[in-house]
Amino acid sequence: MEVLKEKVEEEEEAEREEAAVRAERGEKVVRPMEVRREEAPMTQEMLRDLERKLSDTEMAIPEKLSTFTKDTIAISKLPLSYQSNTLKEEHLLQVADSFSRQYSHLCPDRVPLFLHPLNECEVPKFVSTTIRPTLMPYPELYNWDSCAQFVSDFLSMVPLPDPLKPVVQEEEKVPPKKYAVKPPRDLTSRFQQEQETKKQEEIKAEEERRLREEEERLLDVEKAKTDPLHGLRVHSWVLVLSGKREVPESFFIDPFTAHSYSTQDDHFLGIESLWNHKNYWVNMQDCWNCCKDLVFDLGDPVRWEYLLLGTEKSHLSLTEEEEDGLNDDDDVENLGKEDEDKSFDMPPSWVEQIEISPEAFETRCPNGKKVIQYKRAKLEKWAPYLNSNGLVCRLTTYEDLECTKTLEIKEWFQNREDMLELKHIDKSTGLNVDYFKPGHPQALRVHSYKSMQPETDRIMEFYDRARVDGLVKREETSKTMTEYYRGRSDFLFYRHVSFGDRVKKLSLNSAESNPRPIVKITERFARNPEQPADEDVAERVFLISEERIQLRYHCRDDHITASKREFLRRSEVDNKGNKIVMTPDMCISFEVEPMEHTKKLLCQYEAMMKLKNEEKLSRHQAWESELEVLEILKLREEEEEEHRLTISIYDTKRNEKSKEYREAMERVMHEEHLRQVEAPLDYLAPFLAQLPPSEKMTRWQAMRVKDECLSDFKQRLIDKANLIQARFEKETQELQKKQQWYQENQVTLTVEDEDLYLSYCSQAMFRIRILEQRLNRHKELAPLKYLALEEKLYKDPRLVEFMKVFV
Amino acid sequence: MNWLYDSVEPRVMDEDMLKLAVGEQGPRDEAGQLARQEGIVFKDVLSLRLDFQNILRIDSLWQFENLRKLQLDNNIIEKIEGLERLVHLVWLDLSFNNIEAIEGLDTLVNLEDLSLFNNRISKIDSLDALVKLQVLSLGNNEISHMMNIIYLRRFKDLRTLSLSGNPIAEEEDYKMFICAYLPDLVYLDFRRIDDHMKELAEIKHQYGIDELKQRENLSQAQLDDERAQREELEEHKAAFVERLNGSFLFDSMYAEDVEGNKLAHLPGVSELLQAYKDKFVIICLNIFEYGLKQQEMRKVELDTFNECVQEAIQENREQGKRRIAKFEEAHLLSLNAIRDESEVTNLEMKVAEHSKDITELFDMLMTLEMQLVEQLEETINTFERNIMDLVALFIENVQSLMAQCRDLENHHHEKLLEISINTLEKILKGELDENLPYDVRALFVDKDTIVNAVGTSHDLHLLKIDNREDELVTRTNSWCSHLVDAIHKDEIMRNRRRVKEIHQYVDHVQNELDNLECSEIID
Repeated sequence: MEVLKEKVEEEEEAEREEAAVRAERGEKVVRPMEVRREEAPMTQEMLRDLERKLSDTEMAIPEKLSTFTKDTIAISKLPLSYQSNTLKEEHLLQVADSFSRQYSHLCPDRVPLFLHPLNECEVPKFVSTTIRPTLMPYPELYNWDSCAQFVSDFLSMVPLPDPLKPVVQEEEKVPPKKYAVKPPRDLTSRFQQEQETKKQEEIKAEEERRLREEEERLLDVEKAKTDPLHGLRVHSWVLVLSGKREVPESFFIDPFTAHSYSTQDDHFLGIESLWNHKNYWVNMQDCWNCCKDLVFDLGDPVRWEYLLLGTEKSHLSLTEEEEDGLNDDDDVENLGKEDEDKSFDMPPSWVEQIEISPEAFETRCPNGKKVIQYKRAKLEKWAPYLNSNGLVCRLTTYEDLECTKTLEIKEWFQNREDMLELKHIDKSTGLNVDYFKPGHPQALRVHSYKSMQPETDRIMEFYDRARVDGLVKREETSKTMTEYYRGRSDFLFYRHVSFGDRVKKLSLNSAESNPRPIVKITERFARNPEQPADEDVAERVFLISEERIQLRYHCRDDHITASKREFLRRSEVDNKGNKIVMTPDMCISFEVEPMEHTKKLLCQYEAMMKLKNEEKLSRHQAWESELEVLEILKLREEEEEEHRLTISIYDTKRNEKSKEYREAMERVMHEEHLRQVEAPLDYLAPFLAQLPPSEKMTRWQAMRVKDECLSDFKQRLIDKANLIQARFEKETQELQKKQQWYQENQVTLTVEDEDLYLSYCSQAMFRIRILEQRLNRHKELAPLKYLALEEKLYKDPRLVEFMKVFV
Repeated sequence: MNWLYDSVEPRVMDEDMLKLAVGEQGPRDEAGQLARQEGIVFKDVLSLRLDFQNILRIDSLWQFENLRKLQLDNNIIEKIEGLERLVHLVWLDLSFNNIEAIEGLDTLVNLEDLSLFNNRISKIDSLDALVKLQVLSLGNNEISHMMNIIYLRRFKDLRTLSLSGNPIAEEEDYKMFICAYLPDLVYLDFRRIDDHMKELAEIKHQYGIDELKQRENLSQAQLDDERAQREELEEHKAAFVERLNGSFLFDSMYAEDVEGNKLAHLPGVSELLQAYKDKFVIICLNIFEYGLKQQEMRKVELDTFNECVQEAIQENREQGKRRIAKFEEAHLLSLNAIRDESEVTNLEMKVAEHSKDITELFDMLMTLEMQLVEQLEETINTFERNIMDLVALFIENVQSLMAQCRDLENHHHEKLLEISINTLEKILKGELDENLPYDVRALFVDKDTIVNAVGTSHDLHLLKIDNREDELVTRTNSWCSHLVDAIHKDEIMRNRRRVKEIHQYVDHVQNELDNLECSEIID
């Protein structure tokens, strides 16, 4: 379906070395810049290479003309490198042009190469220079899979106006500021050639298409319509070459889906060219069998024609066995290279470093939303916190191809306070299943239901370790409730409650105060190893309406039958009207070892009393379970309505509290800073410090402070002058000494010594001159400085009132 | 308490008194009514209170086998006795009596709480059996020596102790000493010991405690060693080759051998003896190693057998359980159906049908059981053959090794005889240079004497070897036959039990049906 254009990525050093090389067949790739700019203005470099490959697509979307318009981008605001080409880039373009000419001459039947599309400023740029390896601060981007996922989310696809060729207007392009003498002639010839090859290509493609169509029709009868453009569509994608970073074998990444494909995959029909940020290669291998037979050894010039004779060829030798052959090739090339003097480095990338703000990174998709349409399914993605109910992903599957009849909906949530993670709605059965992460207030794990009405079919599963009662699962039907437990100290693991019809009460009580009557409670217990099997109850059935209690005990280790006991709870009255407490027939039992258990009435009576109590407890339990169900249902409804989201304390943007705190801290810092600026160095501080503290200054003291300050400053100025003078004298003396020494030994000196002496002299003279200048300047400025200080002191607010007297 | 003792007649613990007490303390209300109807068996009583009864002597309590709690406080008991049968006792209160010594508690291993408050005890001892002791009350007694505390160190679970009112409680160091030497104690004289106190006490008595601990550790290590040795010996015994991992047998040969020891003084004999011993010990070691190896093999064989038998039994049991479970469902249904049936002909038909089901179940279960019996019998026979073979092989090999020992002995004997005769000749000729001890020289009177002496020694040695061999063979064989017998017996017992169980169950089911029928007919 898709036609291929490929880009091959060599060694995805995550982003850095993600050198995307792509090859196109058919025409060139769209100008990627514009696409990029338009939908994701904050997108940056790292994506750029990938992005630009997105150009053309395999999707049969209505042939809407590409909607991007140039005025959406403020071209004037782009850096200079976007708007013009450097000399080196111009040179490169020339090289590319000549390469292209040679190529079309040698391979007239192939489509022209996608070498230098126009960028958003209408400036032709060589494809390799659009790639700028950049290191991003997000760990997710360090591995190809998550990185590709991000890129695919980040991009939205705009179909090409013509699915067969990337938007390239080479003819209209006039390279600016160029002594374009040669090009015109070449242009014409190239154009003709191009036309020719285009025609040929079209014919060939048509043939191919017909063949493929036939094939597909045979293979795939179910598919209603075959793609008429099969084999013609262009596409760019990423090739990751094996070798570095434990990549065992080369594979493709499709930038739109972030799926990886083997190089053997049927979807990729062929490769026209590859490029990364260092070089550009044209595939010279035959793609008759898709990409299956391609050898991705870029160092092999027979299979891959390079554009630049790069330095990195040696590192492209991927396997050792090929190394010998490679070296030979290198030799040959080196010879050729000297003749042609083609050695030329790829100029540095002209694009700006990509920058992805954490917001943009988190938002992922343009506007935080992305919809992907699949066959009979639709996938919608949202950025976290975009939807107020925490919805981040929805997968809808349909029964029919037109996507009108919904089969099921799956919704994923994030950051929900009620820990809801996934909601699964099966439209055909009407069954809803909610999945929760650990942390729901009722320890809910899964809730599957058809309606939120109580006493209907539902299954609730719980995180049993978070619950005191160890409840794992509660299944409900309209008449029964079954609970499963785990890890209880009383060994209960199963309780089944059967309800009868609700008795209609005459008094108008609400439903809650009129619980359904319990008909039967069945409880099962696991074996308690501390008790003998004959006394360890395995199953306990309270037949409440029949007033009977049945017990079944555990089986002894070497037995096949288990003891049973049945109590009749009915209290009877004997013929004298006395209450019969206990009679032997009230307890029917089967003992495995009758001799061992001569149970007396008293024991049975006690056992029955205990059971009566436990029956009450069990009924209470059942009642509480019902209440709990009601409570959970109520809570769920409330949660659904409120759908509050949690915000991590590390999320500094959304967490209001931490934001406030941080802002407060920043304010404090800022104020601190201001205060420091306001209080510059106080020239009086050292002198004021000598005075007795917290006393008002007398005039005499003020005068003394002033005088001291001035004299101190004077002294400093003098010291400084002296220091410069001393240095000056020292240098002069040394120079004189050296000159003297030179005069004396002039005859015997070697040439080197003389050079040494001369250079010393010039340096010394320089130093002396500088010192002299400094001294002069100091002499000039010193009195001015002194006066300035004096004036300042007179105006100093601390001293001013004392000074006024004198002034 | 003396006034009580003087003024009131001591009472005897007799049946009536106990019955009265039990009746009073037994269940009340409806349960009590029931209890009176049936009468209470002493065996079922769990707790008994006999305070303020002026009992002088503990008696007649042997029937209360399951007693957990016994209160005998405020009596005039002088001696702890008659409690030997009450092994389940957890709580024993003997406070406010006239007891002078702790005794008669050696069987009460479950005792956790013992109160001997207000007695005349002067020494804490005879409590060794009470390993679970947690609370010990010994206040108001006559304990005067601090060293009694150290005795209490052996009770690892002891948390509460009261000793106030004893002469030792007057001592200045009393509290510190107890805290230091009983670090796990939580309550002393009804007060919680605070951590600070514990620390102080520990520092104060550190040297004493360290020394004590050292001693305890040493003795503990010694005990451990001894136990380890005993265990090892047991293991060797199980392999029937105990004491063969050294020169023990050889040494025992010479232990009673007077002549042999004397002859060792002859020139050249000691070397000979040494060489003999070396060789002999090597053979012994061979036997030992072989024995252990064989023991291992027998064990593996036995384990495998047991495992297989258990598997078979389990499998069979599961089948049986499934059958019964299935039957029970059907049984309940048909019982209900019969109960609801009003038509007599239908009823009879159903009853007959169900009876048939029961018979079927019985047949099925019995078939299963017989199947198992057959399977097991075969397996057991195979195992029996194998283990017999193993044992026979073991015995045979040991015997051949023992024969080597005997050969060595014979060889040694010949050499010794030769040397002896040479020596005799030398002595007779008067050529002997060396000085022999007097009693050795006494043997060299004439040829008969010396030959006899050497022969006696030789016979003795052979006897020892024979004895050891016989012991080994007998024990091995008896172990084997015992094992096989036990397996057979177990299997028979198992079979009987299962058959009984099936009968019982089927009878029960049949009874249920019959009862139903009866009631039905009566109705």
